[in-house]
Amino acid sequence: MTLQQTVRPAVIARSASRRDNGRLIQEIGMLAPAVILLTIFLAVPFLLSFWTAMTNQPLVPRPTPIRFVGFNNFLRIFRDELFWTSLWNVSRFTFWILPVQCGLAFATALLLHQKLPFRNLFRGLFFLPAITSMVVVCVIWGTLFQYPSGPFNQIIGFLSGGRIQPIDWLGDPNWAMFSIVLLSAWQAYGFQMIVYLAGLQGIPDELYDAARIDGANAFQRFWHVTMPGLRPTHVFVLVITTIQAFKLYTQVAILTQGGPKSSTETVVHYMVRSGFEEQKLGYASAVSVILFLIVLVIALLQRQLLRRFDV
Amino acid sequence: MSELAIPTLEAQVKSERSAIGSLRMVQTASILVIALVIVSPLFMLLIASLKDDRFQILADMGSFRAFWVSNPTLSNFAEIGNLSGELAFGRYLVNSLIILASTVGAGLIVNSMAGFVLAWGSLRGRALILSLVIALYVIPQESIIMPLVIMVSRAGMTDTFAVQIVPWIASPLYIFLFYQFFAQLPKELFEAAQIDGASVFRIYRSIFLPLSLPALATVSILMGIESWNQYLWPILVTQTDYARPIAVAIATFFGQDSIYWDRAMAASVLMMIPILALYLAFQRWFVSSFVGSAVKG
Repeated sequence: MTLQQTVRPAVIARSASRRDNGRLIQEIGMLAPAVILLTIFLAVPFLLSFWTAMTNQPLVPRPTPIRFVGFNNFLRIFRDELFWTSLWNVSRFTFWILPVQCGLAFATALLLHQKLPFRNLFRGLFFLPAITSMVVVCVIWGTLFQYPSGPFNQIIGFLSGGRIQPIDWLGDPNWAMFSIVLLSAWQAYGFQMIVYLAGLQGIPDELYDAARIDGANAFQRFWHVTMPGLRPTHVFVLVITTIQAFKLYTQVAILTQGGPKSSTETVVHYMVRSGFEEQKLGYASAVSVILFLIVLVIALLQRQLLRRFDV
Repeated sequence: MSELAIPTLEAQVKSERSAIGSLRMVQTASILVIALVIVSPLFMLLIASLKDDRFQILADMGSFRAFWVSNPTLSNFAEIGNLSGELAFGRYLVNSLIILASTVGAGLIVNSMAGFVLAWGSLRGRALILSLVIALYVIPQESIIMPLVIMVSRAGMTDTFAVQIVPWIASPLYIFLFYQFFAQLPKELFEAAQIDGASVFRIYRSIFLPLSLPALATVSILMGIESWNQYLWPILVTQTDYARPIAVAIATFFGQDSIYWDRAMAASVLMMIPILALYLAFQRWFVSSFVGSAVKG
């Protein structure tokens, strides 16, 4: 994510020099808690992960000393078929979640941007799933997905007059990941909706008026004013959603544990499993380094895209 | 120019007006359909939590009875609401509330102070610290969690409240949000207070902080959701009931052979209430300001 630096306020006139020292001490004191906490709990573990990734560190300390193993962990990861399966699975997940979640968010934002009655009420309602904990979402959707007679299967059976057989949403390797996509999109689209609403509000009304004067119809105004105006928003939403998708963990850990037949195994789930069930912390750290590099590449890609659009 | 423009515009608006009527209908219908998809699962959760019979809950789910309860009962809540015992969800809820309040409370202070100094301080190297903070923002929690577990277990912090609070107080995102908010306030505010002889901390405390309600609300909601919904971290660092949050407790339902949906539903409703209250309290300021920072951020 590119964090664009806001223009810093003009330099403040220097105060009397005898007060400067006291002021400096106060400023350091105000900055120190954040800097110390970020160093201990973010910078240090981040740097440590690169070191741990090159050792055979176990979860529980052993009498034998920890050995430096170089890139062996990475080589073993790349040779493990399950790792590639997990990478393929999160890619499949991303492929589905982008249109479903971002599409729903965009459509909802477009509707709420109109002057419809009760639109503030709807905006509040539509954000409810976003504040719902993923664990609670799993309780709800776990019932919806029940096989063979859960709500979804009953609705499908009713609509098809019993012709379509009940689907084992979470137990069928062909369906499991798609089911995870559905509940994930439902849970998280509220944030994207709000970002889109902000993007829509950022397009000046004058542009629409000008387009009207030029004789543009509703569709033309959407295509030539709204869409170009939303370009940075689209980039932001797609990138954030992709990064979140690659970090997929909680819903899979709760509902499927990576199954059935590894069809919902994800990178983070693979990492946690190797670190805590197989107790290979060095190996798991290597996975976490790979995850970081993936996220970094996506973030840099966003930067490039935004720069190309000249935002 | 405008004399020419206005009649054309009005004519077109008039011609569009008839089309708008039918468009409105389609839009309203779409909104209602989306609302149905979004809200009905939550409504179903609420209704199911008021039903006593866990087999009946599943049987009702496929029909309109999922949205209706003929004799509502709070027995599920009574069963799980206790503070000790096997299903001590009241206790887990209190644990989560302690963690939420401490994280958000400390987070608001620590991050806003840092953001303020980065925006208005005279410290040298401020720009460098700011860009370091921004760079740290790229690191996902998931990729530091392995070494962090080693660190906190070496420090003997496992199974405490502190281990679920302290690591997540300072955050690059929230420091940046505060920085951005403070930086766009007029510099006359700062200068006037300075001339009156106020210290930096005093200016922050008495002038800038009271003006930053939108930023405080936004960070409270975002941090609150984040803290409340933590799952991976607490399962790694809690082994006993002592500091276990409600999210982890609810997830244990899924390990059982047959899930007690009635209790799981009641526990879920219980879990939604505090964060919903937080959201409703701050929502008014949230939407407008999250906004500006999001796309740039």
